[in-house]
Amino acid sequence: MMKDRALDPRTKLIIVMSISSLSVFIREPKYLIAILVIALFVSKMMKSEIFMILKKLRRILSLFMAMVLIQSLFIKGGNPIIALGEITLLTDVGILRALEFLIRISIILLSASILMTSSSRELLQGLIEWRIPYEIAFMVSVGIRFLPLLREEIEDTLTAVQLRGIDMEKLTLKEKIHLYSNIFTPVVTGAILKSQSLSIAMESRGFRAYNHRTSYLKLRMKARDYLISSFSILVSILIACLYILR
Amino acid sequence: MAYIEARKMSFTYPKGKRPVINDISIKVFQKDITAITGHNGGGKTTLGKLLGGILKPLNGSVLICGRNSKDLSLGQIGKKIGYLFQNPSRQIFTSKVEEEILFISRLKKQPMTRAQREMEEILRFFDLYCKKDEYTFNLSYGEKQRLALGAILVNRPEFLILDEPTTGLDKLRKDTLSEYLIELNSKGVGMIIISHDMDFINTHASRRIEVEGGRIIYDER
Repeated sequence: MMKDRALDPRTKLIIVMSISSLSVFIREPKYLIAILVIALFVSKMMKSEIFMILKKLRRILSLFMAMVLIQSLFIKGGNPIIALGEITLLTDVGILRALEFLIRISIILLSASILMTSSSRELLQGLIEWRIPYEIAFMVSVGIRFLPLLREEIEDTLTAVQLRGIDMEKLTLKEKIHLYSNIFTPVVTGAILKSQSLSIAMESRGFRAYNHRTSYLKLRMKARDYLISSFSILVSILIACLYILR
Repeated sequence: MAYIEARKMSFTYPKGKRPVINDISIKVFQKDITAITGHNGGGKTTLGKLLGGILKPLNGSVLICGRNSKDLSLGQIGKKIGYLFQNPSRQIFTSKVEEEILFISRLKKQPMTRAQREMEEILRFFDLYCKKDEYTFNLSYGEKQRLALGAILVNRPEFLILDEPTTGLDKLRKDTLSEYLIELNSKGVGMIIISHDMDFINTHASRRIEVEGGRIIYDER
């Protein structure tokens, strides 16, 4: 089995880009399932913490399911499966589109789990060594770092609301929507203010003081990295061709 | 009967290597103002959060009014205990000052005339009435501290856990807070105050607990 640390972060970026590009490009469930299986296999080989990610996402599982349901209800083409008189509620195409959405989301989550086997610093260095301007690469890295912060902000806010005597489980759907719509603005504003403070702190420590930055961390692509990267690109092109020429 | 009781309680944070709270047993009474002191990183805030039911112990148990904190939801705890976080920004969740006090009343669909009156009283008491229409993000640290405290008190809790309540308060505001806490305690509201402010603790606390390395090393009335 491959050691996750042995792979260069750029190789992981290529694998993830290949898998996620295919999942966006392809619109047929059987091809998407094949990509999902590949993503699952690669993720397992990299020893990524899939179950930990799923555990963390369990709270928004109902949101995913609601999106799947909405997808299936709002697509009107195809043969009706459930209808109320003249009004078609569910069609076979609706179910297929919802299924595609579910598989696509799963592929993207698995891709994210592959990236998480490298630290954000390693990924940032990977982008820099691809000659992506440092500012942009750093923005990507900060963006990734901000996601857990945003989650923390939402969790803190919900804890604070509950500590004021509100039982979330007893709230009706309407009350929950009212609550979430009210806390959305402060949470987002809080995250923006945090990023402002971060930018001030960085400028005060000399960020962008010189045009060229040196780095202690150096990445080196090994033969295995070139082999896996080329293989990923070739397989992606092959799947895309098979899909187009089917 | 103790209002909060911890029995052989231990706690380690996820991915933490050693326990932050180690085999602590303690009874906290409503009649007391209990101070928790100790050096940074000694486990004061974690102890406060465990006693307040926000964190659940990994070993042992915490009983709040005789009920295991693991069986109580945060909402149920919030109806009894008011918790002031070390960083007030973490518990202010609305955009406007006025809304922070009124939000829960609106959500619970309580009569707004009474809620409005209480909001005005609280904001006047904490010297924030002139800022009632302002955005909460623009408040200073001390103002946020007072607003967070006001928002907790409007809920009329039976017990308060205040984590560093005097941080960011000037002498005048600290004295006002002192008066208010004494008044609340005389009405039967119990308190745990986590603080480094020894003057404040010596003025108010009827019991002092010192925590170091996750253990209680001093407990005296």
